[in-house]
Amino acid sequence: MAGSRWTTQVTLMPFWAGLLVFFATATSTPQVPLLMWSTESLSPVASPAGHITSIDQFSAYISSALGSGPHTVLLFLQNKLSRDDFTVYGGVFGNKQDSAFQNLEAALQSSSSSVTFPALEWTGSSAVLALLQEKLGASSVLTDAETLSHLSIDTFISNLLLINLPYCTGLEKSCKEVLHHNDEIIGKVLSIMKAKNVPYTAVYTGLQPSRVIAESTLSNSPMGRSLLQTAAPSVKPPIVFNNDSGTPCILLWAQNLNVSFKDTEWTDLNSQTPSLTGSMCNGSFSLLVLNYENGTSLSFSLSRRFYPVSARDWFTLDSVQLQFNGSVATYIGSRNIYAPAEYSFHCQSVSSFRDPLLVPNDTDITLKDWKLNFVDFQIQGFTLTNGTNFSYASDCAGFFTPGIWMGLLTSLLMLLIFVYGLHMIMHLNTMDRFDDPKGPSISVPQSE
Amino acid sequence: MLLEWMMNGHAILYTGVTLAFWSTILIVGICYTIFDLGFRFDVAWFLTETSPFMWANLGIGLAISLSVVGAAWGIYITGSSIIGGGVKAPRIKTKNLVSIIFCEAVAIYGIIMAIVISNMAESFSGTTPETIGARNYQAGYSMFGAGLTVGFSNLFCGICVGIVGSGAALADAQNASLFVKILIVEIFGSAIGLFGVIVAILQTSKVKMGD
Repeated sequence: MAGSRWTTQVTLMPFWAGLLVFFATATSTPQVPLLMWSTESLSPVASPAGHITSIDQFSAYISSALGSGPHTVLLFLQNKLSRDDFTVYGGVFGNKQDSAFQNLEAALQSSSSSVTFPALEWTGSSAVLALLQEKLGASSVLTDAETLSHLSIDTFISNLLLINLPYCTGLEKSCKEVLHHNDEIIGKVLSIMKAKNVPYTAVYTGLQPSRVIAESTLSNSPMGRSLLQTAAPSVKPPIVFNNDSGTPCILLWAQNLNVSFKDTEWTDLNSQTPSLTGSMCNGSFSLLVLNYENGTSLSFSLSRRFYPVSARDWFTLDSVQLQFNGSVATYIGSRNIYAPAEYSFHCQSVSSFRDPLLVPNDTDITLKDWKLNFVDFQIQGFTLTNGTNFSYASDCAGFFTPGIWMGLLTSLLMLLIFVYGLHMIMHLNTMDRFDDPKGPSISVPQSE
Repeated sequence: MLLEWMMNGHAILYTGVTLAFWSTILIVGICYTIFDLGFRFDVAWFLTETSPFMWANLGIGLAISLSVVGAAWGIYITGSSIIGGGVKAPRIKTKNLVSIIFCEAVAIYGIIMAIVISNMAESFSGTTPETIGARNYQAGYSMFGAGLTVGFSNLFCGICVGIVGSGAALADAQNASLFVKILIVEIFGSAIGLFGVIVAILQTSKVKMGD
């Protein structure tokens, strides 16, 4: 930071170290820098990086520094000041000649002692002014360079001279010019004071911070990384039908149970809570009836049988019935919806119109517009052993699609033919039965 | 000696590929058995979900290609013998072209059957096994079977006629009276190609693809 220097003065006051124990953890505390230099000796201040000095600490320091005897304090109060002003305009990147604080730096260097508070907590405007007034027991006298030269300062009492410096508003001059002008005022005032041969303490600070940048320290942000993905919404439980002894007997889960009675008017029945009256289950036949409030009812009938060729029990979803306003539409699912009886059946899309797994049993011509579309559908009607958890889900989608199988078959066949032909070609040999290495070599005449 | 045979690069490649293929099958089969997923191995699903068009076109392709392989193989065997024998006995070259023609007939059988079978392929509008219908499946499988029948019959017929024709050419070069009797052997060999054609015609006689 431009212009900050530690004094190598005598008595190290260690009690500051004791005070400055806690670290600033608050985020975006407004802060103003404060530079203080004096023709007399000032006790040095240990200020760890990032530490924000509170007003109380500063007040205690001022009491100790300016407590004894009368002091003359020059308060250069800039309208706004932040640490970043020094960074931006202080020529800190090797371009010392562009610095707008050259007089200030010179004053700090040439003074007997100087003290820097890089971050003084800013609680409200003119806190520093009020504090200095209180500590010195004198009211501030507003001056500027011209009036100061005419002023006579009584060194036997404490004086507080206030010089207001503007900050750039961006309208007329650039910030650099304004700060440079302020710096010139500081230089003039200090030279006047030097000419008067009056011991003084000068303070350069801001009435408010010019930039407030939210700073959050490490201790606030959680250690480690976190996923930006929002928390997964909790999954709703499946629809459970219990048999007479209270154990679950039919389980159904779907993300959506969309039904449509007219074109493009879909209702998701899954958003309503159904009542399960009319459902029943036994070892070979299960019926799950979902009755909804507006009179719609959806029923699933499953049956379980032993198939001798595969020698195991399979269950099928025989039919799905949709009842509304007295009409009933039936959809046959036994052809496509089946699984071994120990497992559940899962399919991402069970619909009656698009790659239909449920085939409409077209008896009533007026019901042909009714459509079903179940999304992420899973059902199990037999051998529930795991409470309300589904058994292994036998999925409607296999590992290879029929297209993949067809492609594999044809391409492997062609590959086989190719490899066989290649093998034959690679084993063609030139006839060497009549080769005679000792005989005369063949001569091909060049001319006709 | 086995090691010397194995040192052949081709042998290593073929052994490697065969090993990879069978071990894949074995491991997949073991996994399916362990996890009680044997029910997912469904041959009926494979036969009904694959399109009848694939089977039909495989049959057509195999009909012509296998017949041509047989004819080519036979002609190259006979041809080399005729050309070689003709160096010392030029009189054989005209008579022994009959052997070449017998071999070529096999290729002609193949192309005729391929055209006949491909004329039976029609489009249909079903997408599920129920809507495609049993007749279309029957058509697809019949065309595949007929193609295989005529293809393999002509393949072996062509090789057979070729080897016999090669022997006939060389015998003719030695002794001109041998050729006529050897021709009878060739006729028997060529008949088997004709058997294949007849059976393929019978297989596709009831094919009716379409809606």
